[in-house]
Amino acid sequence: MYSLIFFCTCLSACRSGEETGITISWNGKRAIGITVPDRLVGEVNADSIAQLLTIRLAGQEIAMAGDYQQTHRGIRFEPLVPFTRGRRYTIWLRNRPLCELAIPALEADDKPRLLAIYPSPDTLPANLLKVYFRFSRPMRESQSARYVALLNANGDTLRDVFLDLQPELWNADRTMLTLWLDPGRIKRDLQPNKRLGAPLQLGDHYQLVVSANWPDALGATLASSTTKLFRVSQRDSLSPDPDRWTIHLPKPETTQPLSLAFGEPLDYYLLTETLHVFSDGAAVPGTWQIGRNELVSTFTPTARWTAGQYRLRIENRLEDRSGNNLNRLFDRDLTKTQRPTDGKSYRDVVFTIGN
Amino acid sequence: MKKISSRLAAGAAGLLLLAATTRSVPNQYGFVTGTPVIRSINALTFGPDGVLFIGDGRSASVFAVDTKDATANEKANPVEIKNIDQKIAALLGTDVANVTIQDIAVNPVSKNVYCAVQHSDGTPVLLKIEGDKMTAVSLKEVPFSTVALTNVATEDAKDRRGESLRIASISDIGFADGKLLVSGLSNQEFGSTFRSIPFPFTNVQDQSSLEIYHAAHAKYETMAPIKTFTTTEIKGKKYLLASYTCTPLVLFPMDELKAGKHVKGRTVAEMGSGNSPIDMVMLKKGNESFLLMANTSRPVFKVKYKTLEDYQGSLTTPVAENFATAGVDFVSLPLTNVLQLDKLDDSRMVVLQRRSNGNLDLWTSSDRYL
Repeated sequence: MYSLIFFCTCLSACRSGEETGITISWNGKRAIGITVPDRLVGEVNADSIAQLLTIRLAGQEIAMAGDYQQTHRGIRFEPLVPFTRGRRYTIWLRNRPLCELAIPALEADDKPRLLAIYPSPDTLPANLLKVYFRFSRPMRESQSARYVALLNANGDTLRDVFLDLQPELWNADRTMLTLWLDPGRIKRDLQPNKRLGAPLQLGDHYQLVVSANWPDALGATLASSTTKLFRVSQRDSLSPDPDRWTIHLPKPETTQPLSLAFGEPLDYYLLTETLHVFSDGAAVPGTWQIGRNELVSTFTPTARWTAGQYRLRIENRLEDRSGNNLNRLFDRDLTKTQRPTDGKSYRDVVFTIGN
Repeated sequence: MKKISSRLAAGAAGLLLLAATTRSVPNQYGFVTGTPVIRSINALTFGPDGVLFIGDGRSASVFAVDTKDATANEKANPVEIKNIDQKIAALLGTDVANVTIQDIAVNPVSKNVYCAVQHSDGTPVLLKIEGDKMTAVSLKEVPFSTVALTNVATEDAKDRRGESLRIASISDIGFADGKLLVSGLSNQEFGSTFRSIPFPFTNVQDQSSLEIYHAAHAKYETMAPIKTFTTTEIKGKKYLLASYTCTPLVLFPMDELKAGKHVKGRTVAEMGSGNSPIDMVMLKKGNESFLLMANTSRPVFKVKYKTLEDYQGSLTTPVAENFATAGVDFVSLPLTNVLQLDKLDDSRMVVLQRRSNGNLDLWTSSDRYL
């Protein structure tokens, strides 16, 4: 956090030409407070600061909510939410405007970016269930319906493709959004599926477009629009099957990665948390990295591998891109026998790192 | 947060001693005094004695906060704030476009209205409305307790690395018979998880998955998350009354909602597809009770409690015609674009409505709608 000396426009109540010496406190790019020097305010009883001194958005009559505090540099005001970049505020003293203050707008090129869209491949199954969007900095919520569009090969925008969820599914710092394709349209024979059909049709080409007008938390819009082109392949109606995965083992006494090739792309975010490596009942510390097109994941241990037996633990809730997890299909046929489960929430694959 | 603590540290030593004393003696609800780290406010509901529950999806937690607003008010004055969004924007020193009202809840004791607002920069704000006066509720140094919405599968994993990428969204919370009820959805399994958490908070929470027969969908459907719910009593038995997207109205016996249990509900009404329910309350006029429900794409519905009580059926066949309705009869009120509603007293509700002229007004209904 740092402060900038700021000179605001003097109004009639302020002696002309004098530097006001008002300072703005910043937390990153957010203006979280201002300090009005004592000499501008004069003698004020600490208990009545909030009655005598108010801050209002320029042109407004309602005083902003916030905390006042007497400091050695003057009266500090911290609004309930940070000041809005690019807006002007008026400081009022004893019901008269004292001076006006501008919170500078962001630099024109200070913009957020869309870093990735998952799934990464350019061929996606007809029953694709989720799409993830990862941004470079916190975005404004509840905007996806306005700024994300799915277009068909003719360039027509398709309606009712994504599930309208409020609140939207953002991660804690609002850099990652999950959008569901409407499950009612994906599940065969459900009313939305019968009425509108599946959102994606086999063999067709689509464009997923993210508009550059999407604002971030500070009001800056995306640096550019993004278009992901993809073609639609067969429905994926099979659960991921670890028996078909290929495991590439590292050598002992190295920190070479353990590499898993799934034979099909799996769900990006479930991959980040459903795979674990155990040795003698304890988790092996290390980091997982998801490889190209979510076909591969690699585990790099913090310490060197020692020769011996390990267990790869796969949580059964790991899904492919169509919501099929290790135990059940997303759109299962209730008339068909289901695969028996052992009641566990995971399965273990034993592997040995040899000398 | 550091800054605030240091500022407090500079305060009188006597006060600090008092604060420390408060911390060490939890009150009857197990509250400690401090500053809860609330990252979002998705849903609000009141418990006993002015205790406000704040559903924070971003932290996957619910906070119980003592509002100290527990003076009984038997005769609530109607609330009316025209252009409430503009007034909130001015109070926050920003533009209307940067302000979203997430939920409103009436304190059943004081009848004051609490309003959860989210600024576009992500900052959550809690406001209190008394008559036409709106003030910010400070959540600094307040008596509170918190409960994390646990996920059984994730807890099984013993080697959790850092912060989970799991994202939870809380669609509604409610309080009944000493229990906090939470419905929600995560970004992973598309499931209907319903939690029942005893209050005061302990380590116990029951998580059940609820199955409904969605007549508009022609199949048993376990996968839909509850959008809004309330609790009711039918012939001496307590029920959860829940509604979902595409608007089925479903009853679940409360005594069956137990940990790990899979419960099938009884669908008593199909209120039309192409719509999502927003809020529901139970009101009374004379000896008659009514369910009032606000919707995204339809007006406010009114269901006579008696009809609901008398309906013995369970809808198991699809509604033949698109957007048609079935089951328990209901009335569409001349009340459209209602974004939030909560019960003010037995016969009135506080309504947040987008008027036909575009204004967003908070107002109080009379019993003429009942």
